[in-house]
Amino acid sequence: MVELVLSGRTEAFEPLVTPYRKLLLTLAYRLSRNMEEAKEISQETLLRAFRYLRSFDRKRSFKNWLLQIEMNVWRSLPTEAPDETALRQMASNSAPEEPEGSLDGKEAREKLLSCLDELSPREREVFLLRDIEGRSVKETAQVLRLSGIAVRVHLSKAREKLRELIKDRFPELLEGRR
Amino acid sequence: MNCSRVRRSLPLLAGKDLPAGKARRVEKHLEKCPDCRKKVEEIRAALAEVRAIADRSTLDWPEAEWRHLMARVKSGSPKPGRRPLLLPGLTRKSWAYAGAFILVLAAAILILKIVRPQPTPATLAEITVSTPTQPARALSMKQALLAPSPQDRPFTVFEDRKGPARVMLAAGPVPGKPAQEMMSMTLVSQKTGLQVHWTWNRNFEWEEKKK
Repeated sequence: MVELVLSGRTEAFEPLVTPYRKLLLTLAYRLSRNMEEAKEISQETLLRAFRYLRSFDRKRSFKNWLLQIEMNVWRSLPTEAPDETALRQMASNSAPEEPEGSLDGKEAREKLLSCLDELSPREREVFLLRDIEGRSVKETAQVLRLSGIAVRVHLSKAREKLRELIKDRFPELLEGRR
Repeated sequence: MNCSRVRRSLPLLAGKDLPAGKARRVEKHLEKCPDCRKKVEEIRAALAEVRAIADRSTLDWPEAEWRHLMARVKSGSPKPGRRPLLLPGLTRKSWAYAGAFILVLAAAILILKIVRPQPTPATLAEITVSTPTQPARALSMKQALLAPSPQDRPFTVFEDRKGPARVMLAAGPVPGKPAQEMMSMTLVSQKTGLQVHWTWNRNFEWEEKKK
């Protein structure tokens, strides 16, 4: 697909990136917590991906390459205030069947997602890539251009902070799980 | 392992990010420590809850906006590949290190030049002292005029008749000898015995001594 785009068939770019359209927008929102900024980040990510497609190393994962561009774009933008409307929209996009013991109600889910706001930007980046997007520590380090040790340190702090926040705000969740 | 060391590793153990050997040691501790076990279970529960909500709450582009974005992206064209490096095998990082090294070297040379005192040129007196002088010879005017070669000079010439002394100076290079750096002239008063010694260097800087 990459070769097709580079050979001049630009229409092949859309099927190349469509599998990642939700991922890029959602991750951008979780990083910036502002819907307008999230759209701006994803848009710039796709523009850059198209523009610099020739420099993409075919041995690497295309998904990781896109994530790396998105992280660079997010870091280069000035931070804007969190946007509560999008958070509510995100929390309401839940599946109809909810697993037993999970949070009921959009409001509670909003609150739980807002716990991520308490993390530092670097902790949030590492946590989202490793724990939410399921990248390995090595892949996370590559995407963020950090060492494996640095990733583990930020990850450890992020998980510990989340445990404390959830224990403080939703003690029933931790009780119910054990 | 004690509890404080184990607790530092619990967030990583909860996400299966601890190396196997260390994970075994921590788990061994957990078997007999209910407090640490409770803590790791809390972290696991917190992670599971956040993951579950994140999995079920995603955002998507409105279709019209996505179409518009794709049209905008495709209206451009991919940039040509990177320019080849000057030397193959050398990365940008290597060039950056080389550049930084050259800058540091240049700065060090500049600092040394500023800090280190410049050697001051030797004074005429020092040159005079360090330069071996040819002994002057006293010749009569007739002998001086008939002197066969410049190596016989400098010399002091006495007039045959009474009166002030006339002095002839050595001039021109002497074949087979290095070029002359210094030139000197001594004036002697026959009445008072006063000697005035003038010395010039090649820049015609001069010095006078009276005896």
